[in-house]
Amino acid sequence: MLDDLNRLEPFRAEIRSWLAANLPSDWQQGMLGAAEADHVAFQKWWFAKLMEGGYGAPHWPKEWGGSGFSFAEQIVLYEEIARAGAPRLILYFIALHHVLGTLLHWGTEEQRRRHLPAVLAGDEIWCQGFSEPNAGSDLANLRARAERRGDHYVVNGQKTWSSNAHHARYCLLLARTDPDASKTKGISYFILDLQTPGVSLRPIKQMTGASHFNEIFLDDVLIPAENLIGPENGGWAVAQSTLSSERGLSVLELAERMRQGFGLLLDDARKVRSDGRLPYEDDEIRRRLVDVHSRIEALRLLVNQQLTSILKDEAIGVEPSMIKLYYSDLLRDFTELGVAVGGIDAQYLQAVLMGSANETGYWMQDYLYSWAWTISGGSSEIQRNIIAERGLGLPREPQARAA
Amino acid sequence: MDLQLTEEQQALVAALQDIMQDHAELPQERRLSYAWHDAGLQTLLGESGFLDAAREIGPLEAALVVFEAGKGIAALDTIGCGLVAPLLLPDLRIEGPVALVDRRDLGKAIRNLSISGTLLVDCGEDVALLPLAGFAIDSVDSIFAFPYGRFAERPDLSSARRLPGAGAAMRQWWRVGIAAEMAGAADAAIAFTIDYVKQRHVFGRPVGSFQSVQHRLVQRHGWAKSLYYLTMKAAWSGAESDAAIAACFAQTGIQSLMFDLHQFHGGMGVTIEHLLHFWTYRIRALQAEAGGLSASALAIAERRWTEAGSEVDAVPARVAGL
Repeated sequence: MLDDLNRLEPFRAEIRSWLAANLPSDWQQGMLGAAEADHVAFQKWWFAKLMEGGYGAPHWPKEWGGSGFSFAEQIVLYEEIARAGAPRLILYFIALHHVLGTLLHWGTEEQRRRHLPAVLAGDEIWCQGFSEPNAGSDLANLRARAERRGDHYVVNGQKTWSSNAHHARYCLLLARTDPDASKTKGISYFILDLQTPGVSLRPIKQMTGASHFNEIFLDDVLIPAENLIGPENGGWAVAQSTLSSERGLSVLELAERMRQGFGLLLDDARKVRSDGRLPYEDDEIRRRLVDVHSRIEALRLLVNQQLTSILKDEAIGVEPSMIKLYYSDLLRDFTELGVAVGGIDAQYLQAVLMGSANETGYWMQDYLYSWAWTISGGSSEIQRNIIAERGLGLPREPQARAA
Repeated sequence: MDLQLTEEQQALVAALQDIMQDHAELPQERRLSYAWHDAGLQTLLGESGFLDAAREIGPLEAALVVFEAGKGIAALDTIGCGLVAPLLLPDLRIEGPVALVDRRDLGKAIRNLSISGTLLVDCGEDVALLPLAGFAIDSVDSIFAFPYGRFAERPDLSSARRLPGAGAAMRQWWRVGIAAEMAGAADAAIAFTIDYVKQRHVFGRPVGSFQSVQHRLVQRHGWAKSLYYLTMKAAWSGAESDAAIAACFAQTGIQSLMFDLHQFHGGMGVTIEHLLHFWTYRIRALQAEAGGLSASALAIAERRWTEAGSEVDAVPARVAGL
């Protein structure tokens, strides 16, 4: 991969100077403890700025208004965004990755025309309506019911853990259209307009104090039949392509951001704390710093290996699961070390830095937020099962004895 | 050492459990709070004599009170007023909660300061006793389930009453208290989690039927049991190194405990829309006290591996008198 990237040094220099000229150096001050409305406004502004520079939709095809960057170019771009400590476009994540991947593969021309340009104009924030109170790790157990009546589907049910639904206009929704079919067979995939009557939201209070995600209640919600994506009862396959649309670039960005974040940790370890102690002189802290540092380097190599395989069009196996598991464990230990280095000063309840990386130097926030990573996007237990069964070829866990 | 409780100790525990059972409910308006201090229960424990156990019966019984009260959902002070203060000041009866702090941390947020009438300050060699009436104390927002407060102005200790040479004893009983409350809270948090994984189903089975969950819960249970026994031994023996071992063991193991228990609550585990954090955040708060892990570990090394020989070989005076 290095050879490919070396050719792109001029491209890298262009991005770097663009970021230096356009990224407000004080954006973090503005977003620390920012009100939701200011957070949304800033995300919109930064996305528009990136679009103006040609970096907002790097992986989108040119015919749909994107930059059409090669995969190698995208790698360079994400490395530079992470290096610059730019905000994460978390409000646009679903729209830029999942909506694009899903509609290009399964959507109708009409659906693409209706939504893709609006996403790039910054007008459409999307969320995901997959998980339910009894369907998380076991997603195929979902119960939300969609019944066809004439030109519409009538949807009833409840969704949960829907990140940023309170800012979104549209939702990628999974609902059961055939209750008699086996678990994965009777599911369909819809575009849901969240302003439809019968949709209500309840924000969930996280341990960090923030409320990024929501419950969505659906009571006799009418979805026009033209909002079905893919075949009726074929939603499971559509969902698989949604979830595989990120192609390792998100985790590249996260790994590079963690590498930057390590600098914050090291700086704090070298600072005399208010009690006169210097964390860096503590042998235990030094040992843990070295441990985290070497694991970050290993993470970057794991990501590099996966990206190289993608560049070469090789089949991807369980690498995404391994990287997810590795990253979330490491993030937990990294941020725990941050809290330890920060001492009592780092223990207060802090404001949330909106749109930040997972390592902000506000260690208590980082630490609490890190716990979400071993759950969301497939829990660590599920990732281990996948690696054991598909990667190592181990037999499946025995089913529980009949109750 | 007999690890079984005597009939009198069992009666003490049973009586306390009855009271705790009556206060096991979280008030509805506190459901989304980070902290819940039950002032009524605090007073009741004082009036019923449970916080006099150290003075009236002995440190082991006082540690049992801290342990049992630690299982409750409410934050209470039992370490300060039920264990440390009566053992340092057997002849002085102090009313209400007693906050504890290392002198170097006087300017920081102090656990229970906002509800206490007295502060004991670990000054290294000595201890300073500071009545809090007249001091301006700001309450501090924290996630750590205890009420925290901070002095508006750093207090001057020069006029405070000194307890010469009491520093080591303060740290010792503080550590026993930390270990006892962490053991109680861990016990309750594990029981709460076991209940949850039995009820919650995934892939058509209870979450708790998966071996990856079972094995880790068993490990955490074994840790909590070990902590309980180390704590009770430290309360019984009165040896400084036993106290440091119990605290060190407690402070080392909590990362796995916290993580697994929250992880087994799935997405709910990263919210405060359940009760788990009322125990786990208290555990997390206690991890950093009495010098934290680093100081406990050094205390063990100093006490156990000195040139003069090991403390284990000597029978502490307190035990010899039992």
